[in-house]
Amino acid sequence: MAIPEVYNISQSPITSHSFNADRTQVAVSLNTNEVQILSRSGADWTPVETLSEHDKTITSIDWAPKSNRIVTASQDRNAYVWQQTPDPLTGRTIWKPTLVLLRINRAATFVRWSPFEDKFAVASGARAIAICSFDPDNNWWVAKQLKKPIRSTVLSVDWHPNNVLLAAGSADMKARVFSAYIKDVDKRPPPSVWGEKLPFNTVSGEYSSPSGGWVHSVGFSPSGDALAFASHDSTISVVYPGGPAIYTIRFNSLPYVTLTWTSEDAIVAAGHDCQPVLFSGGPSGWQAVGSLDDTTAPKSASGARGASTASSPVGRLNSAAFNTFRNADSRGLGSSPGGGSSLATDTELFTVHQNTITTIRQYEGAPGAVTRVSTSGVDGKLVIWNVNTISGLGTKLSGLRVG
Amino acid sequence: MDISFRKIDVDAYDEDVLLETELYDPDPRDPQQVIDDAKAKAASVRTSLAKSDTLGALVTVLDNPPYGSNVEEAKNLTLQTIVTVLNNTKATDIPNVVKSLSSEAQDTLMKYLYKGMGLPGWGDVSGSVLLGWHEKLTEVAGTGCIVRAMTDRRSV
Repeated sequence: MAIPEVYNISQSPITSHSFNADRTQVAVSLNTNEVQILSRSGADWTPVETLSEHDKTITSIDWAPKSNRIVTASQDRNAYVWQQTPDPLTGRTIWKPTLVLLRINRAATFVRWSPFEDKFAVASGARAIAICSFDPDNNWWVAKQLKKPIRSTVLSVDWHPNNVLLAAGSADMKARVFSAYIKDVDKRPPPSVWGEKLPFNTVSGEYSSPSGGWVHSVGFSPSGDALAFASHDSTISVVYPGGPAIYTIRFNSLPYVTLTWTSEDAIVAAGHDCQPVLFSGGPSGWQAVGSLDDTTAPKSASGARGASTASSPVGRLNSAAFNTFRNADSRGLGSSPGGGSSLATDTELFTVHQNTITTIRQYEGAPGAVTRVSTSGVDGKLVIWNVNTISGLGTKLSGLRVG
Repeated sequence: MDISFRKIDVDAYDEDVLLETELYDPDPRDPQQVIDDAKAKAASVRTSLAKSDTLGALVTVLDNPPYGSNVEEAKNLTLQTIVTVLNNTKATDIPNVVKSLSSEAQDTLMKYLYKGMGLPGWGDVSGSVLLGWHEKLTEVAGTGCIVRAMTDRRSV
């Protein structure tokens, strides 16, 4: 079994990460107002540059593979496009920011380049999505806003391969598909399952899972003919508008907050459960296949002692706090300052990630044939997983049912 | 169940307020039919219980439960019916009953367990019985079931 590549980037949460085209560098934000660019050096990542222009925490980063530009979104309601240019003073190549006129009055929450890299979409707490395109006359990026019928913060977006349609997941419990057609930028898209005539702000679809919940993550399939979304009711749903059919998979553990398609019939999702899980299916139905993580034993040798006490199979009920209280209850073990070392092993989860995974991205392979994915999370780890390595259906996954 | 912890109505100053009722699809049935359905189910549950068919009783009462506003009477009657079923089940039977429920029925049952726990001393709600069911249900349906009970705006 291929072991995932694990990199401990920081002690603080990684809010977002994005690799460059040849994966020699990665842009990360460590829960601050700065972006760090790390360069691969052997088996490690070393900081090479810091991009600082934002005033508040950066929420999302996207590195365009073809045009080699980075776009960042932040709680300061701004987005910047960073481009490598020679410094007029020293001649060194530096990352230079260009302002984006977003015209939003709440935090920007999520940003993604369109497939052709001539537009990007910025989701925000202002119940709007800003679709940004470049204005060469003024040398800045201008935005056109998608507003209706969004009723709450937009948490994630994903572009359709045709560069026009955009999926958005929102805190009003809905996943929607919009047209983000910009007259001077886009050619008329060919008709698809999502519709034929698509002027700006056409709503091609609006979906929610039966038990509701914020839609944390959305994703178009590689062909663009299906849409998947993960919501806070511990479900993921896959929509086939041509069918028309919606498959909702309820699962036993905590909600997923991020997902990506690895092929037309496979999705990897991750979140509060701390492990990436592979789903497979097609227009006739979907089911969980298994975890990419081997969760049968603790990852560090010192954690082995925790195994005997951890018998509850129920999600993260088998967690640090739970075990601490159970030990306090059944054995009178308190969390006294001196007793910290004996409890230290019990706080280790059996997963690689030791806290919520907040971002999962395609790492290697063409769209539709992704072989590896990368994840980062609140534990400050960056992990690269082989999607063909499934460690079997764990006990907690056997109860999954399609409803 | 009173779960409102906000004392100041900040939404009064928002002209584009998102109302609670916009977050879920309304029940297609009209309130009178909802209460009639609840009464019919209560009668059918009594019949099932007389034949000691706990699972049948639970499946009946958990199907299509009343939710939303304006159906308080039906909600209370349904909770009462469910509590009767829960109180009349032997502790050793609970795991099998819970396993036999559909995942949708499991989610609905979890909602009623939490509603019951929010109403201590109401009717013949017994905390220890509810906790016993909660433990067995969580073993089968996992934390995901609890998350769905908390997330779902179609409150029972």
